[in-house]
Amino acid sequence: MVDMDPNAIINMHNVSFYYGQSRALTDITMSIKKKNVTALIGPSGCGKSTLLRLLNRMNDLIDGTRVEGEILFEGKNIYASDIDPVEIRRKIGMVFQKPNPFPKTIYNNIAYGPKLTSTNNNDMDTLVEQSLKQAVLWDEVKDILNKSAMNLSGGQQQRLCIARALAMKPDILLMDEPTSALDPISTAKIEELIEELKKDYTIIIVTHNMQQAARISDETAFFYLGNLVEYNKTEKIFTNPDVKHTEDYITGRFG
Amino acid sequence: MKWRYFKQALFFAIVRLSSLIIVLALGGILFYVIINGIGVISWDFITKPPTDSMTKGGIMPAILGTLYLTSGAIVVGLPLGIVSAIYLTEYAKQGRIIRIIKVGINCLAGVPSVVFGLFGLGFFVVLMKFGSSILAGSLTLGFLILPTIIGAAEEALKSVPQTFREASLSLGVSKWQTTFRIVLPNAMPGILTGSILGIGRAAGETAPIMFTAAAFFTTKLPSSIFDEVMALPYHIYVLATAGTNIEATRPIQYGTVLVLVAVVLGIDLLAIIIRGYMRKNKKW
Repeated sequence: MVDMDPNAIINMHNVSFYYGQSRALTDITMSIKKKNVTALIGPSGCGKSTLLRLLNRMNDLIDGTRVEGEILFEGKNIYASDIDPVEIRRKIGMVFQKPNPFPKTIYNNIAYGPKLTSTNNNDMDTLVEQSLKQAVLWDEVKDILNKSAMNLSGGQQQRLCIARALAMKPDILLMDEPTSALDPISTAKIEELIEELKKDYTIIIVTHNMQQAARISDETAFFYLGNLVEYNKTEKIFTNPDVKHTEDYITGRFG
Repeated sequence: MKWRYFKQALFFAIVRLSSLIIVLALGGILFYVIINGIGVISWDFITKPPTDSMTKGGIMPAILGTLYLTSGAIVVGLPLGIVSAIYLTEYAKQGRIIRIIKVGINCLAGVPSVVFGLFGLGFFVVLMKFGSSILAGSLTLGFLILPTIIGAAEEALKSVPQTFREASLSLGVSKWQTTFRIVLPNAMPGILTGSILGIGRAAGETAPIMFTAAAFFTTKLPSSIFDEVMALPYHIYVLATAGTNIEATRPIQYGTVLVLVAVVLGIDLLAIIIRGYMRKNKKW
């Protein structure tokens, strides 16, 4: 694992994480490549979602948690005391497991973040259109922008959530099992979308679906019981992993 | 086997009977009030002040006074209660101090209303020099209904899905913006539902206003919040206990009770309408 990869956007050094007394992540060192899709896989409770939520400081919301080590984003430790987590979250967006649009109109779902965080709002219509087009939702919703987002289907809602995150023009998009609540067709659409988005964004995705990781990611990290077992090119992981444990998991021998 | 079915039937019968008793009690009270009070209700009764030592005439000043005091209590209690609830649920670190504060709020809810009245007299009327006035009465009633509102607001805030907060925060929106733009608007219908109880209570209480706001008798309508007012519950109390001719005012007493009940129901109805309007966008 290369420490100072010039293509890396995130560098984690010896990161451990605790919920109260119990340790959820142990000594993770890895770097995430810019404009790549990195998949985090592993059985439930292995710490992959925890790691994802560490990257935009969403774990701050849980009382009694503690982080050790450092996570460098563009060379700066996002857990340094002078860093505002709100700023970090603007640059590192997130899409959740269950689509969670606000009970607002489609338009206002997209405009919500930019309106509250930027001073320059003179072209909101363009931004909304752009974001929805990027999330390949525009054609489906362009005539119902003022309807409630709650009326959309699950797959549409999830793409709306992606568009909402993109409207903030983040550098990184974190996705926490974004298709686990969706049907296969919606899932395929999201996967296509991820393929498209990686031209402009760095994407880190947690998934339980091995085929999904194999299909869409460039790098894959396998976690087990809070440890990073193997981190490699996706191709390598799924054809000829270095660690026996990884192979067992991928071939379905456990987990 | 038979015994088991019998037990079940018996249990259901008891449950049904209990519900029936409650409905009958409520219906009985309403029926009694309407039968006895409807006779004196007229346009003049609700638009004219009392005359002839309160044995004739209407109760308009008392209706108006109750509306003023109740609105005042809402203006005092609702914002304060909501802000406290926001602090307790969204900001405060859950721990011993918060538990103590919550116990304190629950105790406040159990304090007899006459104690609130005495507090209002000592603090607002005398110490703050507001005199017996709409202001002092509204503040006293506002504090009286505060625990109800805080409780309702806490429940409503907690029922807003955590995923809404997460979604907003993950966009880099600050916590207070998330609270005021996402959490509070979605909690508002619930807050109003719960607050209706408190507001109804504010309209109907006698003890908190008898020292702080209510006038025994005044034909003059208040011109500022520093004036005394008549109020429906206190008027009923006065007519029933201290009137010059209690027998002669009996129909007026029942009429006043009927109006009071109608006013409380009216306030509830208004809150329900506002809630329905706010709920239209709520779908999750």
